[in-house]
Amino acid sequence: MGSFYGLREDDVIAAHYRGPFIAYYMRGADLSRLVGQALGKATGYAQGRALGFTGPVERHILPWVAGDLGTSLGVAVGAALGLQYEGSERVAVVTFGDGTSNRGDFHEAVNLAAVWKLPVVFVCQHNQYSISLHASQVLAGGSVAARAAGYGIPGLAVDGNDVLAVQGAVGAAVGRARGGEGPSLIEALTYRLGGHWAADPGGYRREAELQEWRARDPIPRLEGALRAAGEVDQGAVERLWEGARAEVAAAVSAAQAAPEPDVAALGLDEALAR
Amino acid sequence: MSRLTYVEALVAGIRDEMRRDPDVFFMGQDVGPMGGAMGGAMGLYQEFGPRRVRDTPISESAMVGAAVGAALVGKRPIVEISFGEFLPTCMNQIVLQAANLHYMTAGVASVPLVLRTRIGDGPYRGHPQCYEAWFAHVPGLRVVMPSTPQDAKGMMVAAIRDPNPVLFFEHMFLYHAVRDDVPEGDYTTPLDRAFVRREGRDVTVAATGWMVHRALSVAEGLAGEGIEVEVVDLAALAPLDRATLTESVKKTARLVVAHEAWKVGGFGAEVASEVAETCFYDLDAPIVRVGAPQAPVPVSKPLRDLFLPNEGDVLAAVRRVLAA
Ligand SMILES: Cc1ncc(C[n+]2csc(CCOP(=O)(O)OP(=O)(O)O)c2C)c(N)n1
Ligand SMILES: [Mg+2]
Repeated sequence: MGSFYGLREDDVIAAHYRGPFIAYYMRGADLSRLVGQALGKATGYAQGRALGFTGPVERHILPWVAGDLGTSLGVAVGAALGLQYEGSERVAVVTFGDGTSNRGDFHEAVNLAAVWKLPVVFVCQHNQYSISLHASQVLAGGSVAARAAGYGIPGLAVDGNDVLAVQGAVGAAVGRARGGEGPSLIEALTYRLGGHWAADPGGYRREAELQEWRARDPIPRLEGALRAAGEVDQGAVERLWEGARAEVAAAVSAAQAAPEPDVAALGLDEALAR
Repeated sequence: MSRLTYVEALVAGIRDEMRRDPDVFFMGQDVGPMGGAMGGAMGLYQEFGPRRVRDTPISESAMVGAAVGAALVGKRPIVEISFGEFLPTCMNQIVLQAANLHYMTAGVASVPLVLRTRIGDGPYRGHPQCYEAWFAHVPGLRVVMPSTPQDAKGMMVAAIRDPNPVLFFEHMFLYHAVRDDVPEGDYTTPLDRAFVRREGRDVTVAATGWMVHRALSVAEGLAGEGIEVEVVDLAALAPLDRATLTESVKKTARLVVAHEAWKVGGFGAEVASEVAETCFYDLDAPIVRVGAPQAPVPVSKPLRDLFLPNEGDVLAAVRRVLAA
């Protein structure tokens, strides 16, 4: 959320497949259509054709259409190229996982963005795992942010469970990109509290580690920070939660009631644009 | 004999060879303690440990490159690309390195590696792409796609022992869906043979993967009408067992080719061309191909079901060649 807050409406975003709906929602996507998409319903933005991770393209969202990790970085760099080419001040922000930073695609994308000084911000959602593998087993050097140095661009590590810290870091990098100073790489350290997939048997993480990270849940932390700053009081927080719960519940029931895609959505003659 | 599922048979093949040959090792993502995607490496880490069962970063091109290099210095690596959808990420290493090395070194170098991957519509619907035809097009690669537990093990063992790069396509639907008697000891299934799974004199259905099972079920149904369908399992795509195929067509004079991959440019095109070239005058009807339509594979189940070729399509194709 911190990665996408405060952007211009016409900045291009490419969200990691983990948690993209919040980014799309902030862009004005219809929550029930997003849920519908996760359920494969006809009302989803891809009408059931793509994985549930995509969003409304017309809102300057780069669509997620393939299962392979890493290619979205190159596409985001390409969007930044297009924006630089047209001489606009728009930027692209792309988020991705720590595991994905081991793909060659990551390195090629960052290098290209750096040599061409493209207006793109790379934000690594470093949750320390790629499925069952801890970063210490697969991520040489231990730091994604440090990889920026090799490409001569700023690399910054932030507490990814501190929404305001993430927003501050990304905001500064976006400012640089908008000002023509080129790309930055931000590593936001976080944790995946759930399984990699719904039925993930787990077993590769210690319970103590889970406990430790549960205590650092970014949502109560943001709530605490806002309260301490006197921005909200207990009543306001409760009303926000109630509103959010009601909105999500309504979106879920609307999505559940939505029709399944049928032959009309199949579009067998739509592989090529006309 | 033991009763094994397709995936258990695959793992048994890898395990037996790792026990037999210390040069065999296995690498892939989450193949260690987790036991691999869909249980495809279950128990191997526990038996062989981290030196021989290696968890890798998400670095497909380097993984396949590492397998090629290790094979060049005399090891027998098995590298797993979790899903066939990711094969494009390591295409250079497969097509430019692995495939070329033996021929281009005047036969001096060889690359005894197995690249295993999962394809097809499966229980959880992810990564269904069937790209096997791309690899059958490239000389220097073996391409196999077993359809039974017995062949899953026998071909895995043969692939590990083979001196060539073998692309080993495992169908996700079959993983847990078929269970069969699998011999326990040392045996291999040839990597260059097609298998007649059911004999018949009226029409040949040449199929791969899950389609073999669908063809068998169609054949069973049509037997009640007195129609005898011969089902040929094209377990080896490259090199293709052209003799078994043409022998069958010469007997039945009618051919249907069925696979889950896209029909246009799919492997069925090669099968149909082979038959057209070598036994055109034996045919009593035009060849019919069954494959997926020319669009990306949709994800949502209702769309997927409309999209993918199924038993009904095989049946319709058989009736069409019989009516012609
Ligand atoms: C090229 C490629 N290889 C492997 C996979 C299988 N896969 C899906 S998610 C995942 C883990 C990704 O880890 P990370 O990038 O850290 O993202 P996270 O899931 O932790 O958010 C893997 C290996 C894939 N989708 N694409
Ligand atoms: Mg991760």
